[in-house]
Amino acid sequence: MDITINKLEQKTYVVLDGRVDSTNADQFQKDVAPLMEGENLDIDIDCTNMTYTSSQGLRVFLLLQKSLMSRNGKMVLRNMNPRVKEVFDITGFSNIITIV
Amino acid sequence: MKLDMHSEMILDEYHEKLPVYEKMKTVILRLLQSCLEENHILVSGLEARVKTEQSLAGKLELKGFKYRSLDDITDVVGARIITFYSDEVDIISALAEKLFEIDWDNSVDKRKMLEIDRFGYLSLHYVCRIPEALYKDPEVPQLNKIRFELQMRSTLQHVWANMYHDIGYKSDVEIPIEYQRNMTRLAGMLELADEQFSHIRKEINGYRRTVQSMVANGNFNEVPLNGDTFRSFLKLRPFKKLADKIAAINQGEVYEDNLMPYYKILLHMNMKTIGDIVRMCNEYSESAYQLALLQLAGTGLDIVTYSVAVLNLCIVLILKKGYGEAGLVRLFDALYGENDYHKQRAHRIYEQAKKINMI
Repeated sequence: MDITINKLEQKTYVVLDGRVDSTNADQFQKDVAPLMEGENLDIDIDCTNMTYTSSQGLRVFLLLQKSLMSRNGKMVLRNMNPRVKEVFDITGFSNIITIV
Repeated sequence: MKLDMHSEMILDEYHEKLPVYEKMKTVILRLLQSCLEENHILVSGLEARVKTEQSLAGKLELKGFKYRSLDDITDVVGARIITFYSDEVDIISALAEKLFEIDWDNSVDKRKMLEIDRFGYLSLHYVCRIPEALYKDPEVPQLNKIRFELQMRSTLQHVWANMYHDIGYKSDVEIPIEYQRNMTRLAGMLELADEQFSHIRKEINGYRRTVQSMVANGNFNEVPLNGDTFRSFLKLRPFKKLADKIAAINQGEVYEDNLMPYYKILLHMNMKTIGDIVRMCNEYSESAYQLALLQLAGTGLDIVTYSVAVLNLCIVLILKKGYGEAGLVRLFDALYGENDYHKQRAHRIYEQAKKINMI
């Protein structure tokens, strides 16, 4: 999985490419760790090319979401393909994470 | 403004003591703020001020002869607590009595001073000192000796006092009796409104307690579904068994999320009482589990939210009632906002439900 992070003014743009699973979830968490502190309070994650997420990936999204909520920030996941969206739906994560 | 020599001396003393007064103001505000927070009391306003030179001079011009020294003027530093309800003034005054040393000889309860046929200024004024046990600054020992005034009143009492002050003091001429009478009528009306607000709050709190106890005692059919009752019901963790069972499909864990968004969904699904939700749980939990099993088995997804239990119950209810795919789309749109993808999801679930003979 590849991850690109860009900061433009007050907003942080993240682009995810590939699948998040047990082989790379730890790296994914390390990559997004800087977003869990500081002034990254508005995070936009483009999931167009994200092909799958396992529960390890869901946990990273959850950590990120909790960190943002505690700092009055927000996170949006967008352009999710139906297969990935299904993972969020059947686990109930669509109820806690904003997906557009 | 022309002041006599005695008043001028008092004014000089005021200038000397001004830094102490400013310090007192800050300390008093901080002490009151902490006291309110510790006792979990929300107030409409908390303020403090040091009397301005102009205001003090005005007072001295009118009645400077009454005061031997500046210490005789007890409101050079003043604080005010404005409560939401009139009956909270007594709670605040009890806290103030614990917090400060009260000079009872100079404290006034204006609420008790009015005749039965009079309406007007209602406020509780305490003249206080900061006890050394509460706050002490060796560099400013006067801080514990100088008295200050603490006013306590409700929001509506504050409104009336402010308006009366504005009208009465800004006017250069004496207010004609008919206008004074109108102000008095307003005071009576606000006093009545104050009492009614307190009464309504007590009634609502009483209703809440009754309903909470009905929920706790399991009299679900008698409890109407509303935001309060649903919140109380959720404390009983009614969906835990189903959520745990769904999580166990992949030996997973349940993440506790907020179920309040489902309150409006359940209302739209024609649930009238908490009993209706309990019946939905009893009748459809097994089907909801079967549906979740079909979706989660073999995925290895070992974390689900608590809300996934209610979501699957709602899906089953919609399908059992014959609302079909359109009903599911409406559910997903209501939960997550409109999205074209919801049609695909509804169709997929509908087909899964057919597979397990749910419909």
